[in-house]
Amino acid sequence: MAVRLLSKFRVLPEIRGVANVSSAAAPATLSDFDVQHKTPVIRKQKLIPKAQYGGRHAVTMLPGGGIGPECMGYVRDIFKYIGAPVDFEVVDIDPTVDNDDDVQYAITTIKRNGVGLKGNIETKSEAAYVTSRNVALRNELDMYAYVLNCKSYPGVETRHKDIDIVIIRQNTEGEYAMLEHESVNGVIESMKVVTASNSERVARFAFEFAKRNGRKKVTTVHKANIMKLSDGLFLETSRRLAKEYPDIEHNDMIIDNCCMQLVAKPHQFDVMLMTNLYGSIVSNVVCGILGGAGLLSGRNYGDHYAVFEPGTRNTGTAIAGKNVANPIAMINASVDMLEHLGHHFHADLLRRAIDKTVNVDRVLTPDVGGTASSTEVVDNIINNIGRC
Amino acid sequence: MSLISRNVFRALVQGSQHVGKGVHTSSVNCEKNVRFAPFGAMQPNATKEGRIKCTLIPGDGVGPELVYSVQEVFKAASIPVDFESFFFSEVNPTLSAPLEDVVNSIARNKICIKGILATPDFSHTGELQTLNMKLRNALDLYANVVHVKSLPNVKCRHHDVDCIIIREQTEGEYSALEHESMAKLYPRIQFEKMIVDNCTMQMVSNPNQFDVMVTPNLYGNIVDNLASGLVGGAGVVAGASYSAECAVFEQGARHIFSGAVGKNIANPTAMLLCSANLLAHVNLHSYSKMIKNAINKVLSDGRVRTKDLGGQSTTKDFTHAVISSLV
Repeated sequence: MAVRLLSKFRVLPEIRGVANVSSAAAPATLSDFDVQHKTPVIRKQKLIPKAQYGGRHAVTMLPGGGIGPECMGYVRDIFKYIGAPVDFEVVDIDPTVDNDDDVQYAITTIKRNGVGLKGNIETKSEAAYVTSRNVALRNELDMYAYVLNCKSYPGVETRHKDIDIVIIRQNTEGEYAMLEHESVNGVIESMKVVTASNSERVARFAFEFAKRNGRKKVTTVHKANIMKLSDGLFLETSRRLAKEYPDIEHNDMIIDNCCMQLVAKPHQFDVMLMTNLYGSIVSNVVCGILGGAGLLSGRNYGDHYAVFEPGTRNTGTAIAGKNVANPIAMINASVDMLEHLGHHFHADLLRRAIDKTVNVDRVLTPDVGGTASSTEVVDNIINNIGRC
Repeated sequence: MSLISRNVFRALVQGSQHVGKGVHTSSVNCEKNVRFAPFGAMQPNATKEGRIKCTLIPGDGVGPELVYSVQEVFKAASIPVDFESFFFSEVNPTLSAPLEDVVNSIARNKICIKGILATPDFSHTGELQTLNMKLRNALDLYANVVHVKSLPNVKCRHHDVDCIIIREQTEGEYSALEHESMAKLYPRIQFEKMIVDNCTMQMVSNPNQFDVMVTPNLYGNIVDNLASGLVGGAGVVAGASYSAECAVFEQGARHIFSGAVGKNIANPTAMLLCSANLLAHVNLHSYSKMIKNAINKVLSDGRVRTKDLGGQSTTKDFTHAVISSLV
């Protein structure tokens, strides 16, 4: 007890030191990358100077498994073509090895670069003590918010048109605490951890996001009728924060109803806020509605780090190397990254080229109803750059 | 202070990770080179036709002659770069452009190529800071990177020297304390310390042991010059200064060579290498390679050599030889 108290006291002065500057407003001219690095925030992670030299950014690239490496190849081809001022530091993670050296190194590189672009990293081992590497990465970097921008491509045939939903997901705790044990033979307990501080952080992130991006409504998704304490806390926190944002409408919805509403009437949603596991499920539902895993890109944010990846976290091992994987998701992730770094010129250039390829030229891979190969899609995007 | 010295160290290690040893230039390497071509000049600061603007400071001494050589080569290779030229000098204060204008131009263009600025023996205004220092501080050009590399057919005592010297250049004589803590962030790069006196001795006796060196301001200056001497002198070593936002390309060893002004004998190799590095920095890799290959070819042939490399050729001869070797 005494030891615990002592350690608390040691932490306190640090917290006090930063608490009074935490809400400083950032000037409008700063890029998101600058905001993360130049404005004071509550420091859970130690601040490291940003990796920008002579106007070029260093970015960690984690190709991951499955279709990751080939998609990263396309991204590099495109970046080379448009001359994006970004230098990649590639870290390959061997999925078959049980030790964590590569993952730790990847985390170290993201800590010093501040920004990462990643495919999905496989965790082949099924041994209980080996934790998922994707989860380890998010937890160690304290990237508490995951953002998935779900916007319909008119060029892709889907049941619903003109969907524009943003899913914001708590990314580090909840059901993904990875605390499981067998208390009595045949009885497994799995812990779901919800903390007030993390719930508040992600809720604030959601409302700030809504405010900055001109969104009208935030929907908190939960199961507080059953999990009264854990999801109850999450819901309470978002309700409390909603009062600070009177311009933004707030409602809540139970996860099961939410799934039904999503497939039946998706247009009622604007920004959706939810805990970890629900986020995972709902992201995949929405991606499915909009045309599958190959289109959308997701963003992980912490106070200091940002990692960009394809929206649904699937490796696509079955189609790796066959030149049929849809490269759009990874390329979209790279556009998100360029925007985050403040390279809006290059981001716009690339975004327009992607939109034209999908919506006008309709050069699509089989997963979204086309017949083109991955490289044909990439070639078409490159041809469109600077011409639309 | 700590922030700056950390940054320098980071520049060091990041530089060392790039295969070709060109800092910030060579990391985007992919097998499929086919598609890489005329669209390289897509930069936010590019004009409608895709041309890039670059600030140009001819400098003092032989600077203007060397810069002219660069301009000739750029013209001959039709490289899409436009120069915004400023006469900037401390020894000639009445003609010099105001510091503010130059700084604004570099901040806007993000890139600059610069000859060496002479420092007068005594200041006209009683100020202690030189113009060079003012420029560096105004732009926060905290890291100076000099790539010392043996060139083909340049006769020297040592062969195959290839090391990068990174010098902190906006602060004073302390910083080493922080390096070790930064090294922990780069577990896959070997880190060792060396005292400057031993270092200079090691440099002249066994320079091949060095890969990337990071030094504080004064020692960096000394080591830069020493290392330049190892591979052929001030005329063949290129360097660059970096801030977070912009990059200024200048010779590695800063000598104005005032004895050679107007004599058409200075060696433009260093300045041309600088310009090639500049092109790579703005993603014009094919042009960059074109110039580097041409320089290597002229040096390997050995027929056109300037005085410092034991030849009789003029600056102009060398420039023309490079131009005719452009492929």
